[in-house]
Amino acid sequence: MAVLPTNANPAPSPIQVPMRTRYYDGVTAEALDVRVRASTIDLTISRADNSTVVARWPVTDLIVLGDTEHEAVPAVAPRGSDARLVIEDPEQRRQLAQTVPALERLARPRPSAGGRIALFGSALVIVIGLFWGGVEYGSEAVAPLVPHVLQAKLGEAVRDELVDGKEMCLGNAGLVAINRLANDLGKAAGHPHKITVNVVKGGPVNAFTLPGDILVFYSDLITQAKDSSQVAGVLAHEIGHAVHYHPIKGLTRQFGVDVLLHSLTGGFSDIGTLTSGGGLLLALRNGRAFEREADATGVELLEKLGVRADGVASFFEQLMGKETSDAAKMLGMWSSHPPTAERILATKRPSTGRPAFTEAEWAALRSVCGETLRDPSSTRTPKDPPTTVRPRPR
Amino acid sequence: MLHCSNERPWAPRGCVTDVSAAPAPDLTPSRPVYDGSLGELYGIYLRHLALMVLTLGWSRFWGRTRLRRYLWSHLSILGDRFEYRGRGRELLFGFLFVLVLLALWFGLIWALWYFRLREHPVPGLSVTNMFSVSLALLGLPLAFVGQYAGLRYKLTRTRWRGIRAGLDGSAWGYGMRATFLTFINAMTGQLMLPLVSVGLARPRIANARVGTLHFDFAGRAGDIYGRYIGYYFLNILMWVVAIAVVAVAIGGTFSDLDTKSEEFTKLFSEPSLRTLVLAAAIGFAAYLLFGLLILPVRCWWQAYLFRYLVSRTRAGNVLFASAISTWQMWGFLVLNYLIVVLTLGLGWPLVMHRTLRLVAQELWIYGAPNGASIQQPADHGPGYGEGLLDMFDVTGF
Ligand SMILES: [Zn+2]
Repeated sequence: MAVLPTNANPAPSPIQVPMRTRYYDGVTAEALDVRVRASTIDLTISRADNSTVVARWPVTDLIVLGDTEHEAVPAVAPRGSDARLVIEDPEQRRQLAQTVPALERLARPRPSAGGRIALFGSALVIVIGLFWGGVEYGSEAVAPLVPHVLQAKLGEAVRDELVDGKEMCLGNAGLVAINRLANDLGKAAGHPHKITVNVVKGGPVNAFTLPGDILVFYSDLITQAKDSSQVAGVLAHEIGHAVHYHPIKGLTRQFGVDVLLHSLTGGFSDIGTLTSGGGLLLALRNGRAFEREADATGVELLEKLGVRADGVASFFEQLMGKETSDAAKMLGMWSSHPPTAERILATKRPSTGRPAFTEAEWAALRSVCGETLRDPSSTRTPKDPPTTVRPRPR
Repeated sequence: MLHCSNERPWAPRGCVTDVSAAPAPDLTPSRPVYDGSLGELYGIYLRHLALMVLTLGWSRFWGRTRLRRYLWSHLSILGDRFEYRGRGRELLFGFLFVLVLLALWFGLIWALWYFRLREHPVPGLSVTNMFSVSLALLGLPLAFVGQYAGLRYKLTRTRWRGIRAGLDGSAWGYGMRATFLTFINAMTGQLMLPLVSVGLARPRIANARVGTLHFDFAGRAGDIYGRYIGYYFLNILMWVVAIAVVAVAIGGTFSDLDTKSEEFTKLFSEPSLRTLVLAAAIGFAAYLLFGLLILPVRCWWQAYLFRYLVSRTRAGNVLFASAISTWQMWGFLVLNYLIVVLTLGLGWPLVMHRTLRLVAQELWIYGAPNGASIQQPADHGPGYGEGLLDMFDVTGF
């Protein structure tokens, strides 16, 4: 084995390929240092050491392989041949191209790196901007056109996934009450589809809207609400999501972001997993705009029905004022529904108007999970028939 | 004079007569030269990215080809530049070919389901399930097949002094061999790694050629087993240390919190912001610890393995060697990875640039081939390429 010059890295500072002209005949790997004489008829290639002519290429056959943007030294070759002529000296290449117009590409100056970076960097930014605009506009336009059956199917699948292993509250009168108000609000907005509200037992204090006008409420939200107007406020907010087709728009956008990131990073799996986090972040940011729209629409719908509309703001205030020990329960609400001061200000309304639910409706809703929820310390007596059931196995 | 030595891998095994009468072979050292510029590379890459977004990724075949043309052409050995003559459409055809194969495979699975299982469905076994499970099982062998076939494609599109390179041998044979070795290695707790490394390096090196000049590979797993066993137990020791440190740190944190066990379970069943922050901090610390203790050991082994594999490679009378250090290997494996991931892929040209500079700095070539004896090969290689690689292996470019 050859001895390795370990410590001796005799790096001559400017590493360069010597400025020579090389000829390869395409048959063997023999490399010849050559001189080239060009006429308008042919290219005469002769050995640099003894002037023996090694090749004579007719000008009409000549091509340049590659270009000066990518190839350090584009090679000259007769069409269809494996032979190559490589001229390292740019000045010599320029002279050759002057004599032989067919070799014009040989003399093109290397495009400046800075210029290219500026050009294609801004092109990239513009293309991403256009793509993003297309997704934004496209999801806006397309979402309402997605067949409702399809949306509902998707929504049901997501709901079943989300509530899997949790108890559904099936108190009939309570469900009727909340569904009644939900559809009243939907009608007030001119929404053409039926809205379905499901109640899941337990926490977090949250509610969400799925594609196909399917709403899911957690019973903790109903339990911890000070009064019926707060539940009505959250419900109206969710109806705001539904009538604006936010869920399907959100999905469309997320898909768009995925496609964009995939085309930008295509080929790196690790980046793929990393960007799925980035995509989520973007979807969340997107969510903020949706939230504001849903807030505004929710309050508007309540006022349209002549119902007390102070519930949204008062609910956010209550969430914000909660002590940190309840932070865990709020986490779910925080992530997609940040109760910012700005949102409270925007949804602040006087406590006038008729109540959203009748006394009987509100009582039924409070016990939708089969317990008298007015007094949290009371436990169910064995006489009470259990009205909570597990979701049916799929 | 009789010579009995194991130190010369290129001598025939056992004792041979020393032919000291013959003239000393030419062993003039040289290194590859890379004269690309990072700025120019970025110009090409940004153009590629803009086109990727515009075409939703379909321009990747042509973009990849342009990048390779740049990199190949700026790398030279013995004063002669490489040339990349692949075409974007060859990569497109390769991709479409594998797409068609997958469609046929899905059709087959669907037919199986339709005619056999539809009447008597097995719970949890839908058509899509069967398809994705079969792909997951086939994915690893196919990725290996794709790696070998991809190497063949790249080599047959590579020219040096006008002569095409190439790779003989069967990609499917390599895929089966690689799958088997990987499986055995996993079954034996990684103790077979030298066997795997040498066993997979051999076909890739010994089947490679430039024109009619074949590479030879004289590596044996036995040569590196001693060092590997040392690495193996050092690695385990580092894991034990790392886990112990993490355990002590976690124990300390929670005794500080003075948490009762029910509160402890509550902490995890209903995560608060504090729990999340705590978990993130612990995760980060563990990651850092892992990076400090375990990665250097792994880089030390990888650098050693690379030096070994290079030194046992020969092309005719040309010998190779590398003095790559653990630190350089760290830059190659860890730093490059971090650059790509933390820049969301925008650092990719920098990584490529760094890699080629490393090759130019740390690969030594002794002697020069007799060019006149190397013939242009008759075959032109496959007409399309890298479909499997595109589909199953995501580490390439
Ligand atoms: Zn909302």
